Amino acid sequence: MTLEEAKTAGHTIAAFRHAYEEENRLLGFRSGCGFVTATWGLVCPSCGQRDLAEVELSHGGQILAFSVQTVPSDEFLNEAPYAYVVVELDGGGRVTGWIASIAKESELSVGERVEFVSSYKPGVQFRRVASAGGTR
Amino acid sequence: MRETWVVGAASTRYGRLPDSGREAATRVALEAMDRSGIDPKRIGQTYVSNAFGVAERQAHIGPLINTALGIPDVPSATIESACSSSSAGLHEAFVHVASGFADAVLVVGVEKLSHLDTLTATSYFAMGADYPFETRNGATFPGLYATLANVHARKYGTRSEELGAIAVKNHANAARNPHAHFQKEISMDTYLGSPIIASPLRLYDCCPFSDGAAAVVVAAREVVGAPSAEPLVIRASARAGSIADMQDRPELTGLAATQTAAVAAFRQAGIGPEKVDFLEVHDCFTIAEVMALEDLGFYAKGSAAKASADGETARDGKLPVNPSGGLKAKGHPVSATGAGQVVEIFEQFNHEAGARQVPRTEWALAHNVGATGGSCSVHLFQHR
Repeated sequence: MTLEEAKTAGHTIAAFRHAYEEENRLLGFRSGCGFVTATWGLVCPSCGQRDLAEVELSHGGQILAFSVQTVPSDEFLNEAPYAYVVVELDGGGRVTGWIASIAKESELSVGERVEFVSSYKPGVQFRRVASAGGTR
Repeated sequence: MRETWVVGAASTRYGRLPDSGREAATRVALEAMDRSGIDPKRIGQTYVSNAFGVAERQAHIGPLINTALGIPDVPSATIESACSSSSAGLHEAFVHVASGFADAVLVVGVEKLSHLDTLTATSYFAMGADYPFETRNGATFPGLYATLANVHARKYGTRSEELGAIAVKNHANAARNPHAHFQKEISMDTYLGSPIIASPLRLYDCCPFSDGAAAVVVAAREVVGAPSAEPLVIRASARAGSIADMQDRPELTGLAATQTAAVAAFRQAGIGPEKVDFLEVHDCFTIAEVMALEDLGFYAKGSAAKASADGETARDGKLPVNPSGGLKAKGHPVSATGAGQVVEIFEQFNHEAGARQVPRTEWALAHNVGATGGSCSVHLFQHR
């Protein structure tokens, strides 16, 4: 698939990746039942409906869960240590991603505010929002 | 449905295989067939699991194994369900035999990864997760289970020392198991002194990358005649799934697939957890053993870690869990693990487990998870 095709084809994995890599957007889908996902699918895993509407997901959110990685896979060889995070985005939808240069669990906390950052590095990258506190 | 038995079982030692996966799988398959006393002509199907066969530049391994076993005309298929591959094979074998479609089925699982470096092996293991939506965003297998461990700890106060008690217990069991990768005990100090791999999980919370092969022969009671070893009567064979990606699941302190498969299995068998004498559960990481015991219904949510630290799941405890040493210390040759759990139960039922023999062997449960619970098998076995 070309980049042009990826831009216009909503229900493709390539479109998700193109959105965060090239357009500084987080793509998601909202089901008729209200379930919002940032993961590709053709049918809602929550209710089984097919009327998935493409939505723009917020760039900001809170850390729902995380773990500091010291032994990475090959694509993150030069990034460790870093935090793998599950982020609950403002307005709905959860997305996985990573935060650079986190070496200890005590440096991050559940509930801490983070925001999506455009990056040339792999995957969906977040950074901490310094002005807001978590439950550290 | 026909009453269906496991009539033969065999395993390599886990760890580093000198053989190729294909050779090891064939050797244990022949040993299991010999043990079963079943005429090889009665084998109607072979299910082989070898999730990372490409690491040996080999796919379509079933016909190679069948040919080397002298049963080239028997159909084979490769079953992949990540770490639950060979228990998925067992389930399909059960369905074939119980339904009358085959009289006997051979199930083989094998993996050989020891020739890979840690970086490559970590990357291979991560392939069981969702590449574009988890792995590409920084997930590794330890990282995904570590994330679950953090959520569990936050909700229930699960402590590092409680996870450590599971590692210490499983190493103690593996030290008594000649099939085990790690035949050594560890102390709590050793556990606490080991490096963090993915916080809060330390090196000794994690199963090793193991080579290994295991095989079981499943047959209809009516075709067995006089079994040459005490068979396992398969009273339940249940499989279930969960939403594949963790981030889209409503709950992150357990695995829905385990809960669903367990309910189905206990319903099939017509018993409750209180009847089970011992378990082999999927402890790829120590937190996975905690979640398994809770999701299977043996402990209330948030109570299994403490019970484990109190010794309830030790070999001589109230409910022995992973007397083999589990994935944690016996080892985790991905596609062999599910069949290997059945080998352990077979040896326990036949009182061949030596220093790790559990006292009661009327009922046993085997629990095998694919990835982070996208797939799961639960089997219940009863003494004849």
